Amino acid sequence: MASQPRPLPPEAEIRAIVGHRFPGGPYTVAHWENFLLTECTGADILPDGMVHPVVLFHMPILGSRTTIGEMFALGQADSDYSIGIESYDWEMFEPLREAVTYAVGGKVVAADRVTPPQGRVYDRIQFQFEVAQPDGVLAARTTITWHYNRGARS
Amino acid sequence: MKAAVGDEIPAWLMESVRPERMRTMAAILRDPNPVHWDRNACDALGFGKRTINQGPLGLSYMVNMLHAWAGAGCITRLYMTFPKVVLDGDRITARGEVTAVREEGGRRYADCRVWLDRGPDDHPLQGTATIRLPD
Repeated sequence: MASQPRPLPPEAEIRAIVGHRFPGGPYTVAHWENFLLTECTGADILPDGMVHPVVLFHMPILGSRTTIGEMFALGQADSDYSIGIESYDWEMFEPLREAVTYAVGGKVVAADRVTPPQGRVYDRIQFQFEVAQPDGVLAARTTITWHYNRGARS
Repeated sequence: MKAAVGDEIPAWLMESVRPERMRTMAAILRDPNPVHWDRNACDALGFGKRTINQGPLGLSYMVNMLHAWAGAGCITRLYMTFPKVVLDGDRITARGEVTAVREEGGRRYADCRVWLDRGPDDHPLQGTATIRLPD
């Protein structure tokens, strides 16, 4: 895109974000939200107020009181376009349901610079979120691993 | 429900990935990345005038396949990698196969390899899933 890549952030600044905790807070999935999400997947709404598991991307992020944009900024992303997905790991211990208020928390669990033999340098940053039921039982844990690519694409 | 190593999970088809669903998803996710809603931004990146499907949406096609096979709420773990992007207009099939069947705490589980198929040797998402098998 038109914007120039930013200078390579110091590796120490990237490593220093490990342990950063988001404020956390409650999150309730409303029926409209589940309905629209489920429609986006091409599926029918699930029975008994069950929330489609695709919610496990944004619910932990927003419930932790952060945003995708803030997560990009935390790793000093060159731009919105510079992020690559390494993996999403979703552990589901209990089905999530509409209108239940869950307690959500999240933190940065890893941040390392990677210099591959070929291709761009990137910072591999891993976020982990937990979603607990009102009784405190862990309902889900998600781990997002993104690559913050540095410099121009070759 | 019977499951054995090597069993193929019935495929789930997304006939055409629709850009308007990406826009709805971007709004719900508060995702600022224009590649999910601005075809010109994608064109400038070399993808042509086709928006890029959100990773979780591609992943959801595999959720739908697994739910259709073993029932809603059957998934206990889903690990996904994203070697290629999915674009609007793509015809995508979710596929999977059972790699192990085991018992744990009195419940039966199937470990599966899952992937999205866009054509021969073209698998934009690849991962693994653990399924709690119904009695």
